[in-house]
Amino acid sequence: MKKRYPRILFQKRLKELRDDLEEMGETTLKAYKKAMITLFDYDEELVKNVIKTGEEIDKLNYNLEHKTMSIIAAEQPVAKDLRFIESSLKVGSHLKRMSLLAANIAEVARHIKDEQIPEKPMDDIKNMAEIVENMVSKSITSFLNQDMDIARELHREDDKVDDLFDTALNDITKSMFDEKDAIYYMVYLLFVARFLERIADRAESIGDRTIFMITCEKP
Amino acid sequence: MDYRIEVEKLNVYFDELHILKDVSLKINKNMVTALIGPSGCGKSTFIRTLNRMNDLIDTFRKEGKVLLDGEDIYDPKVDVVDLRKRVGMVFQKPNPFPKSIFDNVAYGLKVHGIKDKDIIEEKVEDSLKAAALWDEVKDKLDKSAMGLSGGQQQRLCIARTIAVEPEVILMDEPCSALDPISTTKIEDLIHRLKKDYTIIIVTHNMQQATRVSKYTAFFLNGEIIESGPTDKIFIEPCDKRTEDYITGRFG
Repeated sequence: MKKRYPRILFQKRLKELRDDLEEMGETTLKAYKKAMITLFDYDEELVKNVIKTGEEIDKLNYNLEHKTMSIIAAEQPVAKDLRFIESSLKVGSHLKRMSLLAANIAEVARHIKDEQIPEKPMDDIKNMAEIVENMVSKSITSFLNQDMDIARELHREDDKVDDLFDTALNDITKSMFDEKDAIYYMVYLLFVARFLERIADRAESIGDRTIFMITCEKP
Repeated sequence: MDYRIEVEKLNVYFDELHILKDVSLKINKNMVTALIGPSGCGKSTFIRTLNRMNDLIDTFRKEGKVLLDGEDIYDPKVDVVDLRKRVGMVFQKPNPFPKSIFDNVAYGLKVHGIKDKDIIEEKVEDSLKAAALWDEVKDKLDKSAMGLSGGQQQRLCIARTIAVEPEVILMDEPCSALDPISTTKIEDLIHRLKKDYTIIIVTHNMQQATRVSKYTAFFLNGEIIESGPTDKIFIEPCDKRTEDYITGRFG
């Protein structure tokens, strides 16, 4: 028989918090995927959708902050509950930032939609995007399932993204040298590389937060 | 580390009932130590062992050592009245004597043989000031203590305790009968007193333990499950049972 605990309402509120983060996580991941689709295959509706999602996540994060404050005030959590709540706040803010970066990428798509981008730097971005998508997904899973193994993988993947960023930087610069007229839109592509690298950092931070929440130690 | 009290393998029985089981704990000087745990886990029995209050119960029996400044307080040579002067106690419900405010604080001094009126007056004033009560009662010292509010009565009991200059103050849920404002005043008082006294507080209020204490011990079924710095206990306890208790998951 499952043990019944007192503080059932408190447990319910913690579950709600987790559900909210799950929703925020899924929405952020979807927004990210759409941003990448529209970058490679322009779709104005998708761009609008991603930008709107960024604003929505911002609101969801405010709600999450309100909920956590209310839980702290009413329930005065300690130990693992406190660590979970503290981490939820941080993860919420990372997700918000990721979705805004996705919106930034979507906006770049608008600027470069009619340009003929050289293949090499575009491939670099594609490679980065693939790993970053995986990282976003893993970061959310690691936090929700409190999975330290997945959280640790994020470190290795972030290193790969950093390397790819350097490659992209080289290739983009080279394209700029090759064709001066390309500078205008290649700068935007450089922004995309930077945005992707920032998203990867946020995903890694969620993983670190997960490890801290479980072990109380800095990863 | 400088320990005021060292308890080694303490076992306490009332008749056949085994109340405390192999309890060992070292209490630091001039620090607040909180004892937490569910009702009936032995916290009160434990602190009552520290000034031999349990001696008043016929069926009480103990094994193990309780050292105050390195000396066994259960040594037959120890004068219990003198011990209780060194280890004072404040109870759950304020228990002023049905006497004037002045007499309540002066009582302990007189019991311990101080006769000089000037000294007594000075100590009463000092104790009431230390207990953050002086300003509220200085104009009515001859009035009955029973007319004070619950929070004031509790601070009076603390003043009475510190008047005899103990080394250790035991507090058994000192705020559980008080409103939040009075509780805050007592907690502020504990913060101020800790530089001069070693304080051990039993509390059912987890947040109070985190607010006032530096060190916490968790009791369960007569045993100390875990003890350590309060921050550690309330943020990352080692034992699952501690975690379950402080997070309210005890079914």
